[in-house]
Amino acid sequence: MRYVGFALLCAVSSAAQTADPAYAVLDKAYERQRARDYDAAIAGFGRAAELAPKRVDIRKNLAYAWLKIGEPEAARDQFAEAMRLDPNDHHVALEFAFLANETGQQRVARLVFDRVRTTGDAATRATAEQAFQNVDRPLAEGIARWQQALQGAPENFSAHEELARLAEQRNDWALAANHYDAAWRIKPTERRLLVDLGRAWKETGRAEQSIAALLAASRGAEARTAETARLLLPARYPYVYEFRAAIALDPPNVDLRRELAYLLLEMGEKPQAESEFKQIAKDSPDDMMSSAQLAFLLMKRGETAAARPLLDKVLATANVDEELADRVRSALQMPKVLRRREETLKPRDANAEARDLAEKSYKAGYLKDALKYLTIVHENDPLDYDVMLKLGFTSNMLKQDRQALDWFKLARYSPDPSIAGEAQRAYRGLQPQFQRFRTTTWMLPFFSSRWNNAFTYGQVKTEIRTGALPLRPYLSMRFVGDARGSVNQPNQPFSQYLSETAFILGAGVATPVYRGVMGWGEAGAAVSYLRRTDQPKRMRPDYRGGISFTRARGRLLGAESPGAFVENHEDGVFVSRFNNTMLFYTQNKIGYTRGDVQFYWNANLTTDARRQYWANFGETGPGVRFRWAKLPPALAISVDLVRGFYMINKGNPRRPNYYDVRAGVWYAFTR
Amino acid sequence: MPSPVSCALLFTLMAAVAPAAAPMFHYQIAGDRPGAWPRILSSAGLVRGSGGVTVVSGTAAAQDPGAWLKRAEEGGVLILEGESPVAEAFGFIADRARRAVPTRSLTDSHNPKLSIVWERTLDVPRYKLPEKAIVFTRERWDGAPLMAGLKLGAGAALWLAISPGEKGQERFPYVMQALADLGARPGLESRELWAFFDASYRSRVDLDYFAERWRRSGIAALHVAAWHFFDADPQKDEYLRRLIEACHRQAIQVYAWLEFPHVSEKFWNDHPDWREKTAIGQDAHLDWRRLMNLRHPDCAKAVAAGTHRLFERFDWDGINLAELYFESLEGIANPARFTPMNAEVRREFNAAHGFDPLSLFGAGDRVRDAAAQRLFLDWRADLARRMQEDWIGEMERVRAARPHLGLVLTHVDDRYDTRMRDLIGADASRLLPLLSKHDFTFLIEDPATVWHLGPDRYPEIARRYEPLTPRTDKLAIDINIVERYQDVYPTKQQTGTELFQLVNMASRAFARVALYFENSILNPDVPLLAASAAAPDRVERSGRRIIVESRRSLGVPSATPMTVNGRLWPFWDGSMLWLPAGAHSLEPGGGKLPVRLLDFNAKLKSLDPLANGFEFSYASDARAWAVFDAAPARVEVDEKPVTPGMHMAFPRGQHLVRVMASKALRAD
Repeated sequence: MRYVGFALLCAVSSAAQTADPAYAVLDKAYERQRARDYDAAIAGFGRAAELAPKRVDIRKNLAYAWLKIGEPEAARDQFAEAMRLDPNDHHVALEFAFLANETGQQRVARLVFDRVRTTGDAATRATAEQAFQNVDRPLAEGIARWQQALQGAPENFSAHEELARLAEQRNDWALAANHYDAAWRIKPTERRLLVDLGRAWKETGRAEQSIAALLAASRGAEARTAETARLLLPARYPYVYEFRAAIALDPPNVDLRRELAYLLLEMGEKPQAESEFKQIAKDSPDDMMSSAQLAFLLMKRGETAAARPLLDKVLATANVDEELADRVRSALQMPKVLRRREETLKPRDANAEARDLAEKSYKAGYLKDALKYLTIVHENDPLDYDVMLKLGFTSNMLKQDRQALDWFKLARYSPDPSIAGEAQRAYRGLQPQFQRFRTTTWMLPFFSSRWNNAFTYGQVKTEIRTGALPLRPYLSMRFVGDARGSVNQPNQPFSQYLSETAFILGAGVATPVYRGVMGWGEAGAAVSYLRRTDQPKRMRPDYRGGISFTRARGRLLGAESPGAFVENHEDGVFVSRFNNTMLFYTQNKIGYTRGDVQFYWNANLTTDARRQYWANFGETGPGVRFRWAKLPPALAISVDLVRGFYMINKGNPRRPNYYDVRAGVWYAFTR
Repeated sequence: MPSPVSCALLFTLMAAVAPAAAPMFHYQIAGDRPGAWPRILSSAGLVRGSGGVTVVSGTAAAQDPGAWLKRAEEGGVLILEGESPVAEAFGFIADRARRAVPTRSLTDSHNPKLSIVWERTLDVPRYKLPEKAIVFTRERWDGAPLMAGLKLGAGAALWLAISPGEKGQERFPYVMQALADLGARPGLESRELWAFFDASYRSRVDLDYFAERWRRSGIAALHVAAWHFFDADPQKDEYLRRLIEACHRQAIQVYAWLEFPHVSEKFWNDHPDWREKTAIGQDAHLDWRRLMNLRHPDCAKAVAAGTHRLFERFDWDGINLAELYFESLEGIANPARFTPMNAEVRREFNAAHGFDPLSLFGAGDRVRDAAAQRLFLDWRADLARRMQEDWIGEMERVRAARPHLGLVLTHVDDRYDTRMRDLIGADASRLLPLLSKHDFTFLIEDPATVWHLGPDRYPEIARRYEPLTPRTDKLAIDINIVERYQDVYPTKQQTGTELFQLVNMASRAFARVALYFENSILNPDVPLLAASAAAPDRVERSGRRIIVESRRSLGVPSATPMTVNGRLWPFWDGSMLWLPAGAHSLEPGGGKLPVRLLDFNAKLKSLDPLANGFEFSYASDARAWAVFDAAPARVEVDEKPVTPGMHMAFPRGQHLVRVMASKALRAD
């Protein structure tokens, strides 16, 4: 008996090792750690964490190994992940909080200590309480001390800043915001405080003021401050009122005002733009770009006399940007100055500036701004196809698809094959939606081993565009048939669910697709191309309609990098000819894509409202789908092996379970 | 007839080629545009000479690409910039069909999380790279490559999309690391750095692992924040003992770093009545420091007693009395941070000058009295000097019982930034004469106000201290490696080329360089730190012979035994051969050494191999640590035998050591 028990234990242990995908890697990592080869141990724990991503113990081991080689931030991040995996592990939470405190994240540490001191077990509660006090007490004392200092000297800059930072660490954002604000007003040259202020205002729910502060910091500030602020700004181009709020906060910020002026100019608000340029010319007479722009506006209005001194000033200024000077000479109808080609990298010209702004705006998602600057660049260099392509994408994202289509059309003529190809693809993708009629064709011929027969399902559907109407009428012809004519068998009244051996002609309406969901309904007639025993008439009325949902995520077929994918198709379909029933399908695939090949697992379920045996079954099993480069883009071949089972067997003339191998070709295109 | 440029090119190409995998000693500039490359490459201990790393610049980059390709394939390491026929031959081709990339923010694979920002945006052409190129640096938002490497045959090429800037540190921090990745690792090293250490950041590390790492990165002494250990605590004490032991095993000295008038957190909590006051009457808890009133006799007595106990409890090698003056860098302009304003100070000053210094602040009657302010500031600077002298005396009393202890006085620079005397009371000119009475090292600390200035400030600082003391060998410099409050580029904290330039220039200007602090040195810098501290004057290769000349001790890489000046050299750890200052001729040598010196952290003055061992002289400010490959049979210090061992401590000062093994030296 003892041996049996031992054998069982070995078997269980062996099975456990086999079942644990990380066992071998983890074992080696422990061994390397014991040998103090920490780099190898960390690599091993890292691999083990990838193999078993939900195991908290691996994260902890990895964190402890990082600590051994003095990497508390990396260790903290592992404890953060462990805490996410198991929020009730208070020990892990404490470890995280201690490391957060050590690595400069006192605010987060304090919050976690605060949580654990009230929710942890007795031991962790006591530790957390002590740690919380250790963090909180000095903060509270510091705040009190600086508040007292400010009573005697309200204009003490460093007292305001110290107080604000302590308050931020103590999660008292309102106090922090007040004192960042005060510090900023005392020393407006300390532009980094705008970023702090923006952060604090955001946390106190003052979103508009936050954007104003960050916007002010992101324009014209030191490069590092500007980069930090831009990261915190929302991913869209700021509105005019936000510019105005930012200028109100930071009036001497010339770059900010100049950008607003150009924005207004782009928006066609010339008087407002002119007013801003005038303000810049008054506040910052050395800003030659604004002086020149103001002069151009005045000249356009015919006020040459008023413009002339400004333009003369630009030309008289030493080291003025050469591009700007040329524009001024051009306005004054003076010859341009010949210059030697720059041998070294020159400071950026106005067009490059616009390019830069366009690029940054595009990357940051400030699409309106990107469009504005791209248009400027295009005007200056009308043969830059890369800019045309960018204009197309930007317009597309701004839902200005008609304009986008025009840009893509132009960019198709780029001499750069990569730009031309990309433009062509975008054009093809966008163009159909602007046609009055759009015809989509799909077909799925396949062979089924279970039925030892080849079937074909297909549809040709022509949609009619009707402007802004929410429903789109269409005409449709479906085909459902099989190679042998019919698989009909005696006493099997609804076998047409497999092969209707018919063309179904119909007219209907469909909704646009929204987040993968579409509704449709049609009326027509099914015309059988065979005479069937279960259908006395060759032509029968056909009414059908339903709602469908399709979603595909992950690396789809043809993806550039390998990875997992999931596909879901959910359909609810009413079909009059199937005994007026409502059918529900769920067809799901989960698998892995590598280039043009997908391996996956099927999980399908079909049911209906009338509980008919043929419409209530499930199927599961592996499959492979593939294509190769020379095939048309929307053509794919699939082979599936499924094990099926009927959920209702009353009236089922077949066995309750079955196997089926299906090989088919999917092809679809739109014209 | 070939042009002069062609001749120069031919000569360069004919120069000895060092294989990329071998440690590098040299760099050379081909072409007419060296730019900042000499500054960059010399910051890692490379000297100008033939072979090694070749910067292909200007005219050279326009000629004979095939020859340069061949050169790389045969083992040369080339540096290429931007667009040129040679760069094109290697596959780095500007893509003129696409627009240039506005570049300001970068990512570097050596430290992907680091924010690297250029002061000005530059339009950098977009480049196509060869298929096997390793991209080190990219534009942050666009991903366009900016620095990449290519291994080719036995050699390699490092390519930069644009020049590294005028000073060499403005754009690409990790040039030297990229070169090392391509196999061009600087060969010469120095291991004389000091580093400050705070246990708070290393509480759970493997101390042996770290001690080994510190030593490999050139650290000879650790200055450990001693206030964490001022009050006995079994757990903390055990940690410190283990730290000290681990350091000694790796020949690293350990100094107790004291930050008086900050004593310890417990001391602050236990003695609220002895706390220093600011000019607005608050307890002086400023930044992390909790300042005590050392003018209070009971406080001073308690601090002195605690200090004596600190040295009884641990096996320290030295004392660092740091920053013993007042607050703050805002000076008298900010009363909330101004010290000292405790009762004793006010009483002393009042007795001497007839008014309470508190009247200089707030609603006091002397707020606008410039003469009164001057009087107090001068008195305050003098008080700082008196306190420093008092506490040096106290440390001498500690040293009386432990003569092996070194003494360091860390003092902010007030010669380069002359405002320091008024701001914090620091006055080096009144302190340095104490060197004639006391044996200590004067460690000059860069004030925060100049942390943004370049490495050229170090020779200038050294020059300004020369008139103050004849003992320039006792002057050391402290480099603060921290996030600076100034608007600095490309990184907030010194790293890569900027750090190497600072360390290298400081090493050339001062007898000793300290780094604040070991935890803030970023990981990519650690492997090249010892190379940046090397300051060779000359390195020449002639066949198998290498001639090295340096004003300070230097390590030369060698995987096999070498002769130095014709004699088999015993100071060799299996990978590096360590030399005293001076000129030496090295050649591969055969034979077995009966005993080897693996490591030694004093300044080696001379070393003479003997028939049965070797003899060396050294100078050390504190007890010195040596590591042998095996316990010698006999060791004598100044002709007096001492107990031999694998790890040995030698006395402070200048001494002669004879090490003898039982086996005789065998000549091959």
